[in-house]
Amino acid sequence: MIPVVPLPPAEEPHISAALTAGDVKVTSSFRGAAIVLYGGVFDPQRRPSDVVVVVRGPERPVRLVRKTRVAGVWLNSRPVVFEGAPGFYMAASTRPLSDIADFGTLRRLGLGVDHLKIEAPEEARVETRFGVKDVVVSRLGGDYLDWRRAVIRLKERARLYDTDPHGVRFVDPGLFRAEVRLPTEAPIGRYETEVWLFQDGEPVSMRTRTLTVEKVGIERWIFNFAHRAGWLYGFAAVAIALATGWVASSLFRRG
Amino acid sequence: MDIYLPIAEVSVNAPLLVALGAVVGFISGLFGIGGGFLMGPVLVFMGVPPAVAVASQANHVVASSASSVVSYSRQKAVDYRMGAVMAAGGALGAYVGVELFRWLRLMGQADLVVALSYLIFLGVVGGLMLTESLGTIIRRRRGEPPKRQANRRPMWLYALPWRMRFPRSRLYVSVIPPALLGVGVGVLSAIMGVGGGFVLVPAMVYLLRMRARVVVGTSLLQIIITTAITTVLQAGRNQTVDIVLSGLLLFGGVVGAQLGARVSGKFRADELRAVLALIVLLVGVQMGLTLFVPPADPFAFAPGPK
Repeated sequence: MIPVVPLPPAEEPHISAALTAGDVKVTSSFRGAAIVLYGGVFDPQRRPSDVVVVVRGPERPVRLVRKTRVAGVWLNSRPVVFEGAPGFYMAASTRPLSDIADFGTLRRLGLGVDHLKIEAPEEARVETRFGVKDVVVSRLGGDYLDWRRAVIRLKERARLYDTDPHGVRFVDPGLFRAEVRLPTEAPIGRYETEVWLFQDGEPVSMRTRTLTVEKVGIERWIFNFAHRAGWLYGFAAVAIALATGWVASSLFRRG
Repeated sequence: MDIYLPIAEVSVNAPLLVALGAVVGFISGLFGIGGGFLMGPVLVFMGVPPAVAVASQANHVVASSASSVVSYSRQKAVDYRMGAVMAAGGALGAYVGVELFRWLRLMGQADLVVALSYLIFLGVVGGLMLTESLGTIIRRRRGEPPKRQANRRPMWLYALPWRMRFPRSRLYVSVIPPALLGVGVGVLSAIMGVGGGFVLVPAMVYLLRMRARVVVGTSLLQIIITTAITTVLQAGRNQTVDIVLSGLLLFGGVVGAQLGARVSGKFRADELRAVLALIVLLVGVQMGLTLFVPPADPFAFAPGPK
């Protein structure tokens, strides 16, 4: 049965999109994946349109250390836990984001790596400063932005964060195309894809699509075994090792 | 031919891993050591997360040591009683080591401690072994008689309580020194992912003064037990054992170990020791240097409990 979705009035611009693959299967030959997203802009008045595609992977807190030199040796600082950093993040658009909408709009919608709500709540402290109550200050002090930027920089280097200001291309009037490139290290889980239509710096229409990355077959079985029955898994690993050693030794003795 | 490792969550070249296992196994069989100290740094260089590398290679050490210990056992070159005493200490050490490693990861100091352990232990053992073996080689070249070893055991070995007879090692000593040795090696096994043969063998020869022909076999037995316990603890506590990774490594490893053991008879013992000392020293210095090289980025992600 086809679900009945109320269509917006024909004169109002709206966007629609589809992923060429809704789930990515991680097998032993997995070396990353590229998923193509196609979409259409429906606007009878053909006003200039911008499209922004954002893909967010499952969130996982990250722990960050800073190396400092003490007596010639590089030492790690105490780890700082940052929350709100998605395990994967991609922002592709028809133009640089800052040209499409203003700072406030991007911040409100959380579009672009600079507008991710990455925070270190464990470092935050509420204080009264200059007579003002409930001021949130961070123990990281003035370096806070350096830390936050480092999270993004390190993720970008691992190819887990990507900003492509020309990643969305119109292949035909009203028909656009974008590509989601997942590296091997992409986390397992549900990915939320948001497809935004901007006109005159304002968000006009939005669609969400879900992408799942999952381990299948033997990879999934081993991963679950290791995480659900860790002790038994350990014994099994040792048994395999002992058996292999013993078999090799007897084979070579005869040979 | 790349293969995706389900626990490490990275994709690596499978034939390269088998070859790495074979090379390290060959060295292990040639010198009578586990070879974990070589494997760890190479795996990390290949992109395997350090915690997974340490835990999975411990399992590789189990396999390559098991394949050698069977041969030594046939030659009656394993002192099971001594091995059991040391392994009892080793079990305690492995437990302490795994918990310590967990805490260090939480504090973000695991890299530092691993690098320091490599620098100190490999540096000292490699340095001592190199001077000793070079001295022997030079004396032999000059035609001088080998230096006579002082055959007296340190007196404190006899002053300690709980003495036990070890017929195969021809010893009647307190169980405290071998048990303590086991504890130390157990901790190293968990932190560095090594069997600890490079510490154990010299200690058994120079400290306990065991009979030379049972030293390697007994050390391998103790290494099997300690690394097996480490593997189970790492799997149960930290979920860091990648069975696909260790499977590929040990497949090459057991073959390499057997070949190494065969070839080892063709070389002089002191020359073998000199080469091993050089390898040990190089790896130790290489790992230690990472502490002094300015990092490309002052920030880094700290692995750890998620």
